[in-house]
Amino acid sequence: MTSPGDAAPVRPPPSFSPGVPRVASKTRYPDQRRDSSPNLDSDLVDSRIATSPPQPPLSATAAELPIRSASPHARSIRSSTPQLTRSSLGSPTEGRLDGSEDIRSLIIRSFSPVVGVYSSVDTDELVRQKGFAGGFWELIRPFGETVPGKIVVRDSVGASRGWEDYGVRFVDLGGNPQVSSEPRAPPLTQLEEALERQLESPDDPLGGILRPKDFLSFPTTSPLYKSFLRQLLSVSSPTPHETFRHPVASVIAISSRNTSPLETLRRLYADTSNGDRKLPEWVHPEYLRYYVLVHDEDRDDIAESTKLYDQMKRHFGLHCHLLRLRSNQCVVTDDDSCQVPEAEWLSPTERLSGRSEPLVDLDTDGQPYLFESDVTAIKAFVRELVAQSVIPYMENRVTVWNDQVASRRRGISGRFMSMSRRWAGFGSGSRSSLIGSGGGTSGNYDLAHGFYKPDVPEAILRKMADFAFMLRDWKLSASTYELLRSDYANDKAWKYHAGVHEMCAVSMLLNPLSMPGKSKINDIDQMIETACYSYLTRCSDAPNALRCLSLSMELLKSRGGSGIESAARWAMRAMDLSLVGSIGQALLSERISACYASRNAINGVRFGSRHRKAGMWSVLAADRWLRLGKPSLASASLEEAERLYADVLDSNGAFPIPEMQAFVDNLRHAVKVEYLESRGLDTGDEAATADPLDVFEPEETSEKLDKRKNRKSLIANPMDSGGLSSTQGARDDDNPANDDFERA
Amino acid sequence: MSYYFTILSSTDVPLFNIAFGTSKGGGDGIARFRFPDTAQYMNQFIIHSSLDIVEEAQWMNGNLYLKHIDTYPPASAYISAFLAPSGARFLLLHQPPQLPSTSSTGSGSSSILGASFSASALGGGSSSRASSSSIGANPTSPQTEEAVRQFMNEVYENYVKTVMSPFYRQGMEIKSPVFRSRVTAAGRKWL
Repeated sequence: MTSPGDAAPVRPPPSFSPGVPRVASKTRYPDQRRDSSPNLDSDLVDSRIATSPPQPPLSATAAELPIRSASPHARSIRSSTPQLTRSSLGSPTEGRLDGSEDIRSLIIRSFSPVVGVYSSVDTDELVRQKGFAGGFWELIRPFGETVPGKIVVRDSVGASRGWEDYGVRFVDLGGNPQVSSEPRAPPLTQLEEALERQLESPDDPLGGILRPKDFLSFPTTSPLYKSFLRQLLSVSSPTPHETFRHPVASVIAISSRNTSPLETLRRLYADTSNGDRKLPEWVHPEYLRYYVLVHDEDRDDIAESTKLYDQMKRHFGLHCHLLRLRSNQCVVTDDDSCQVPEAEWLSPTERLSGRSEPLVDLDTDGQPYLFESDVTAIKAFVRELVAQSVIPYMENRVTVWNDQVASRRRGISGRFMSMSRRWAGFGSGSRSSLIGSGGGTSGNYDLAHGFYKPDVPEAILRKMADFAFMLRDWKLSASTYELLRSDYANDKAWKYHAGVHEMCAVSMLLNPLSMPGKSKINDIDQMIETACYSYLTRCSDAPNALRCLSLSMELLKSRGGSGIESAARWAMRAMDLSLVGSIGQALLSERISACYASRNAINGVRFGSRHRKAGMWSVLAADRWLRLGKPSLASASLEEAERLYADVLDSNGAFPIPEMQAFVDNLRHAVKVEYLESRGLDTGDEAATADPLDVFEPEETSEKLDKRKNRKSLIANPMDSGGLSSTQGARDDDNPANDDFERA
Repeated sequence: MSYYFTILSSTDVPLFNIAFGTSKGGGDGIARFRFPDTAQYMNQFIIHSSLDIVEEAQWMNGNLYLKHIDTYPPASAYISAFLAPSGARFLLLHQPPQLPSTSSTGSGSSSILGASFSASALGGGSSSRASSSSIGANPTSPQTEEAVRQFMNEVYENYVKTVMSPFYRQGMEIKSPVFRSRVTAAGRKWL
């Protein structure tokens, strides 16, 4: 390994004071803060790329956690992160918002319109030739998730707004309908399993999960948590109580190989509207149909297809598209080959079923390849579908329903109507008196089956609000949800009731115009409480309760201010109700810590931040990771805790309270031992046999310690081969001073 | 109810710690926290983390007694705080028992008297002891606030006397057995 001699030159920052005998874990935060001053910006970025960042000579880093050897690197990134984000965002104040914007966009995108895909046999065959076993649906699915370019959406008052990140989700209508009926583990268990598999996969914990965290852990969230959230949001299957998973449109596809194209299209349409592919009766039967002709570039004649396409347009109107694809399979070695992006929104079930190998060899044959011309064609198709058919259709429906149904309810007479209906219990039939409790039911709710028929006002309003939500018109959706709240409560449609409270809170939080006043937050808290109670106690629907709590937590967090406290409280509630498994507990602990950490001190005064709380939760998260046997994640959490505590602890960084100090020391030690053990068993390099023995020795010589350090730094930071040697060099010097550094 | 009382100096150094349980309603005065015995550091973590709130609340409020300021929901631990003018912070963590039957065996008979808490202002006779047993049920009730306030005031008086001792320097840990016994007595009397 490298000796101090051949270390790369370390450039010390000007603010660095070498003579001060400080102990590492404390000093580096003051240093870091000084370092982050803008004039050092370029220095830091430099040092990140080329050399290791400067390190105080007396710092006793070697006695710290193994993962720490990666930390000088991470530290410099952290300190320079605000600057990096500033350059990218163009505004210095938005550096901190970066992470929450990310999550916000994730949440918004998770509620995208669903487009069904139903293709003829010949189309699926054509696509299967190209190497997509799932047929046409599998081919276009990844491309729906981000529609290229801006999508302009007009809201209810006529204002247009462009969205860069709009997307739709393609679902397979032609797939086996009975797949869902077979017994499965509850979704939350699957979620936990999927996370576990992700953690277990050999190269991920270091490569996929830790590294980005090290680079950007300050403002952004850990990829594992994002994956957790993404899977949680893709858990739900179509249910009566919300219409997000009901198809807004459906794509009906035939190929140029078909001998009787128009008849096939008619038959496919009939299948979806009243044939065997008919959706359950609680789904609104009227949705947009979009007809696609897939032309085989390699085998068929374009003139024929154009003629057929014109014919289609005459018969079926404007919602048609001619998609020109090549039917030959594309391989990597082809000139214009292009890898298909991975589908982002995979439910835990899909993740668990047979998708374990792409994680291992992601870039060899995990994802199939397509010709670039095909990719361009599919992208153009998706964009046309979304921008010219789906969005206008949804806008149109929202306007119509708003005029016909909602405005009647909103007006003074509508209020009176619903009130009179509520009080005149006898008028609405005998059912209300059977149910008792005073409130008259509308009679629209089918108690036996537990859903509203899709054409009654309650269901249409819900659908309209969901459409508005998916069109990102949160003002309209919030007011519509609010309208529905009492209706569902009167009808005792508890699942609808829970869902509408949840979505009302979420759309209020998403609406950028509504101010996060204290009273508003209280209202929202109340709604979340109701939703959570209804989901869990009345419907025992744990996945939705967890979704509700996580969404509220994330959105309240991004609101900042007094929302942070609520956010943390909801996260704790989710843990309390044991909605999450052990991995989820650790993730949520980290998240609570992030919530508290995002609350900053009021300008000019020292109080107002929540760093102690954030630090505590990080320590707890580290403890949980350790118990899960994930020492690398534990040490990342510990490091985060140390960063958070740096503000509030005294100059030498020790906890003033001895028991806390003892606990943190023990935790640190345990993490180190576990980490070394796992590395020693995993890697099998030269010290593997010696390792498990000498970590248990009460006294460790600095040499041994040193060796392990170096190995560790190789491990934790596979990226920065440049910074490696100098990091070690600096550390070699430090070893003599490092013994019981914390207790000094 | 189990209590963990600590006095922190203005630099967060603990000057005094004591854990005790309720003596009301037949309690034996022994603390039974929800954490296992090996995890008693959690009390300190919770108290330490609530300093964030103390620092904020002390500027929003003119009183020395800040009332109930913070909650740690996972263990349902409630923190009340009292500020001494010297900058020392008195923090009391109180935690209702997990199972209502574990510590308060005689609560059934005294619950009738629970509403008439006003008697407790008269001082610690046996009657007030019985009547204030309701504080165990609800840590945020006005009765509890009042009881904690009385406790804090009494501890503060004793704290001032102890700190005035010529052998005590500011920032030193309080080792006086007299003080400890006084705090225990106050705890028995009020909590």
